[in-house]
Amino acid sequence: MRIATYDDQRMGVVAKDDTVVDITDLLQQYDPLGPEDLLPDLITHFGELKSELESRSAAGGGKPLNQVKLHSPLTRPTKIVCLIGNYREGTDRPIQILDIFFKSQEGIVGDGDTVVLPPHQADIFHHEAEIAVVIGRTAKDLKESEAMGAIFGYTAYNDVSARGLGRKGINSFLGKSFDTFAGFGPWITTADEIPDPQTLHITVDVNGERRQDYSTSDMERPIKELVSYISSVTTLNPGDVICCGTNHQGLGSMQHGDAVTTSVSGIGSFTLLTEDTHQRAWQRGVDEEMARRVRETGTGREGSRLTGGASS
Amino acid sequence: MRLVLTNDDRIGVERDGGVVDVSAAFDDIRYRTAKDRMPRVLSVFLDRRSQIEEMAAAGEPKPVSGLQAPVPRPPKLIAAFGNYMEGTNRERQTQDMFLESPESVLSPGGTVILPNHPATIFHHEAELGLVVGRRAKDLPADERALECLAGYTCGIDVSARGVGRMGPSRMGKSFDTFTPLGPAIVTTDEIPDPQNLRVTMKVNGELRQDYSTSDMEYPVVEVLAFITGYMTLVPGDVLICGTNHQGLGAMQDGDQLEMEIERIGKLSVSVSDPQKREWPRGIDQEMANRVRTVGT
Repeated sequence: MRIATYDDQRMGVVAKDDTVVDITDLLQQYDPLGPEDLLPDLITHFGELKSELESRSAAGGGKPLNQVKLHSPLTRPTKIVCLIGNYREGTDRPIQILDIFFKSQEGIVGDGDTVVLPPHQADIFHHEAEIAVVIGRTAKDLKESEAMGAIFGYTAYNDVSARGLGRKGINSFLGKSFDTFAGFGPWITTADEIPDPQTLHITVDVNGERRQDYSTSDMERPIKELVSYISSVTTLNPGDVICCGTNHQGLGSMQHGDAVTTSVSGIGSFTLLTEDTHQRAWQRGVDEEMARRVRETGTGREGSRLTGGASS
Repeated sequence: MRLVLTNDDRIGVERDGGVVDVSAAFDDIRYRTAKDRMPRVLSVFLDRRSQIEEMAAAGEPKPVSGLQAPVPRPPKLIAAFGNYMEGTNRERQTQDMFLESPESVLSPGGTVILPNHPATIFHHEAELGLVVGRRAKDLPADERALECLAGYTCGIDVSARGVGRMGPSRMGKSFDTFTPLGPAIVTTDEIPDPQNLRVTMKVNGELRQDYSTSDMEYPVVEVLAFITGYMTLVPGDVLICGTNHQGLGAMQDGDQLEMEIERIGKLSVSVSDPQKREWPRGIDQEMANRVRTVGT
C-alpha cells in the first residue's frame, strides 16, 4: 500500500489506478490535534484500519495523481535519524564504524517543493539520494531479529548537504539541517510490498542527467542492523524516520534552476526544485573529487583528528 | 517568572518556596501527552504572560512532590560545540552546533542510565539552556534575538566519549536519559545579563565544573543568530550553549550530580550503570589540558 500526504494536508492511499483516495476521514476518530498526528495515528492503528485502506486502494476512483499536490509523506517526525556513509562504494575496505546524526525536521519538503540554498559560503551543495525507513511502533533495544517487524514502510529521501561549513575536523553535519534540505517522497510504501529492501535501485537525475545510480545491496550495514543499533541509542516512535545513508559515487552539485529527481525502485520518485538567490555556479555533472575521496578515505572523517575523543 | 511542569502534569509558577498552579491559563491548549504538551503551551506562553503573572501573584504557593523537565521532549534539541575560551587567549573557534535526539531529555531527580556501549568515559557537561517561545529565523546578533526566548534553564549534556567514528560523537550525547533539563524555565526579565552567570557542577558533593558564562566564545545572542541562519526555531526547542571543559569528570554508577546556575536554579540527577564500570574519580585533567591546547 502507498500512503501519501497531499493537497490541504490530507492523507490518502495511492490506489491501483494511480488516483489518490482520501483517507483523512478514517483518521478523525483518533482526534488529531493537527496534521502532524495523522501519520503516527495511521501507523499506530494500522491493524484496525488495514482492511478499509486496502479496499479503498483496490477500488480507486480518487483524484488522479497528476492533479494532486503531493507533500512529504512525513509531516513532523519526532526525529530524523541519518546514517553517515554506510555504502561500500566499490571498495573492499573494512566496514566503517556505524555512526549517525540528527537532522532538523524544519527541513522537510516534498515532491515539487523548492530547496532554497542559503547565502552561506558552502564549498558546494550536494544531493544525496537514500532509502528511508519509517518506524512502525515505539521501539527501544530491538534485537536484529525484531528490527524488520518494527518497520512500517519505506520512502525515498534526498539528504541535501552543504559542504565545508562549520568547524574543521568536527563534522557537525549542520550543513544538512538548513530549512528545505530534507526531501521525502513521493509516498510511503508499506513494508509488505518491499520484501527485500536490500535489493532496491536508487537513482538521481538532475535536469534529466543521471548522477547517482546504485543498489541498496551495497550497504555496509543492512537495515535490520541500523534499526537495531539506533534503537539501542534512542527510543524510536511511530513515524520516526531512519535515512540509511548514501553512495557518494555520483553526487553532484545542486544549483539554481536544477530539477533533482530521486527514485527508489519499488517505491517511486519525486522531484525537488532548486533556488539560489545568489545564482552561484558549480561544475555540472558528477563530483569526481568527492567520489574519489570517499573511495580512498571513507566517510565521516573529513579532516578529523585521528586522536578522536574530542569534545563539545 | 519561573515556569515549571510538575510530576502530576500541572503547569506552575514557582514562588516563595512553593508552586502556584497556573494550568488554567492553558486549559484551551489541547495535547495528548506531557511530551507534546509543553511545546504547545510555550507557543502561547509569551503572549499570555501578564495573565499568568496575575494568576501566580493571586494564587497560593504549595509544595509539589517533584518536577518534570520543563520541556520533556523538545521539537529540536540543539547543542553548541565547545563555546568557551577556557582560560586561553586563542582566537574564537569557528562557531558550530549539532542536533541531539530530543528523546534524551531527563527530568530533575531522574537517573542517567549509562548504556552498554563501549565508551571510553562518560562526562557531565553543565550548560546554560535556552528555551524557545516564538518561531524565529534569521535573528540579528543583538538583544532583539532574546525576544524569541521563553527563558533559560539548566542542562547537562551527558557525553559518551569514543562512540561512533573519529571526532566528537553526536551519537554519544543522544542516548536516552543523557540530557537532564530543569528545574524551571526562568524568563529573560529575571536574568538581566545571561553572560554573567556562575555555573557549577558537583559530583557527590565535590566541586568539578565552576565557570562563568562571561567566558563564552559566542554569547547567547550569537548562538541564536547563528542557528537561525540555518533553521527555523519553534516554541519548545531547546538549545544548550556549550560547556567549559575545565572540570569535566567521569560519571559512574551511584554518582549524585548537582548542577547549579545562579539565578536559574539547581538540577540534580543520579547515575546508574548496570555494567558497574569504573573510572578515576575527580577532574579529567587530560581532557582539560587537551581542550586548552587544541580546542574543541
